[in-house]
Amino acid sequence: MERQAVTVWPVAESREDDSLVSAARDGDRAAFGRLYGRYARMVHGILLARVPPREVDDLVQEVFLLALRRLHALRDVSRFGAWLGTITRNRANDYFRKAIPVEEATEPVSENQAESRTTNHAAELEANVILALVRVLPEPHREPLILRLVEGMTGPEIAERTGLTHGSVRVNLYRGMQLLRGKLAETARSAS
Amino acid sequence: MNDDYLWDGSGEPDPEVQKLETALGRYRHNQPAPAFDRVAELRPVKVRMRFFNLRFSFQLAAVAATVVIAATLFYFLRRPNPSLDSGQSWDVARLEGTPRIGWHSLGEKSGPGKLGIGQTLVTDSSSRASITLDETGSVEVDAGSRLRMVTNGPGRKRLSLERGTIHAVIWAPPGEFVVDTPSAVAVDLGCVYTLHVDDSGAGLLRTTMGWVGFKLNGQESFIPAGAICQTRPKIGPGTPYMEDAPASFRDALSRFDFGSTTPAERNALLGILLVDARKNDALTLWHLLSRVSDADRPGVYDRLASLAPPPAGVSREGILRLDRPMLDAWWSSFGFGDINLWRTYEGDWSQRPPNARD
Repeated sequence: MERQAVTVWPVAESREDDSLVSAARDGDRAAFGRLYGRYARMVHGILLARVPPREVDDLVQEVFLLALRRLHALRDVSRFGAWLGTITRNRANDYFRKAIPVEEATEPVSENQAESRTTNHAAELEANVILALVRVLPEPHREPLILRLVEGMTGPEIAERTGLTHGSVRVNLYRGMQLLRGKLAETARSAS
Repeated sequence: MNDDYLWDGSGEPDPEVQKLETALGRYRHNQPAPAFDRVAELRPVKVRMRFFNLRFSFQLAAVAATVVIAATLFYFLRRPNPSLDSGQSWDVARLEGTPRIGWHSLGEKSGPGKLGIGQTLVTDSSSRASITLDETGSVEVDAGSRLRMVTNGPGRKRLSLERGTIHAVIWAPPGEFVVDTPSAVAVDLGCVYTLHVDDSGAGLLRTTMGWVGFKLNGQESFIPAGAICQTRPKIGPGTPYMEDAPASFRDALSRFDFGSTTPAERNALLGILLVDARKNDALTLWHLLSRVSDADRPGVYDRLASLAPPPAGVSREGILRLDRPMLDAWWSSFGFGDINLWRTYEGDWSQRPPNARD
């Protein structure tokens, strides 16, 4: 089985983040680009826990542009992760509040695409069902599970990035995993 | 279970966690950083206007307004009927026989079809079909069904089952997919379910996984995995019950919900329900709390409390006056699903289904 990479969180990075945030706040766009590299998975995971997957990539860009606009208002640079997390959750909530336009017609699927879709259909279906099960878990469990299982972040990294304590992330991760195991077992029973 | 592996990827790998990582890895973030250095200066620029510029701006605004009005008129006059032509279509695959979409038949050699907004998929007594939309789910349509696409915007997928049976597997976020029936609206809250509507407009919903909300005219029913709920035109959703409930219980409930009974008969039926209720039937008793008279509510409360004690913060007095947060907290303690999902999303779909029969 392919082993998905998880990241290891170097403690020194958190101090470096503070410098990057300060530099970005002073107008250094390259520093903001490096913050994107470090926090994009967190933003992506938080969004994925709330909005349809097809919308997530666009919303990630929106969240960072919004953060860039508002960065001058951030007083405590060490709270950047928690602050960005709040912006992300608010943006996800706005997604459901905004007026909903009618979708435009899409291009017909090409033969190659159709073939690849059939080949990957079973794995895609399984992934969709698992993601749906994670997304019906209570919010405190949903987010760390997606950050761990989808984005490949470690527990310590989730805690550092989101500004939560290790203990809280650990409890929510384990409890969420227990709930998910229960739901997977329930699904397997229903399928058989 | 290897906790270290889940926590930080160290130690002996947990095969189940690894399997989930592999399956879900396809959703992982992989977009490069935007070119932030090219993003224009975002601080607002103060513009100093002189009189000439101001007058010029008025002229420009008048011209712009004329152009906008003309373009709007042109757009609305030339626009095709949106209910028929806009919106992404669902892929329709024939499973058996010759299903139809409008006048178009899906035969053995005709390949898959598309179901657009306003179109109806019809299966006769010998045909079946399935419809799929990426990131929303798939729906199998049994023989003898009529299923119409009502809306299909992002975050809002609405079908109308006028007759027949569908089996839905939905992976869209809770509250995004709904199905109208002539006697209730079914709102998906992350689940797998079967919905049947007969020729009279009566419906039956059976949930296999997750849970579904059923609603009409303010009457709500929540149907978790393993439960069933019936609906009737003019009445709406009945009280849900577990599939394994005893026949006497189910019969009494059906007559309580939909039968033309005298108050005395209704009391007798409620008595049967309270006596026969098992721990698993807490679901049914919880719904009955808000469906019985004030005089009958204490009896329902006491029986439910004996089967599934209320959580901390939920009082007898609060439940007897139908305090919503307390009712919700009690529901959430059953472990069927977070009722906040329903409270968040049901408002979006509270409108009466267009095909409701009075």
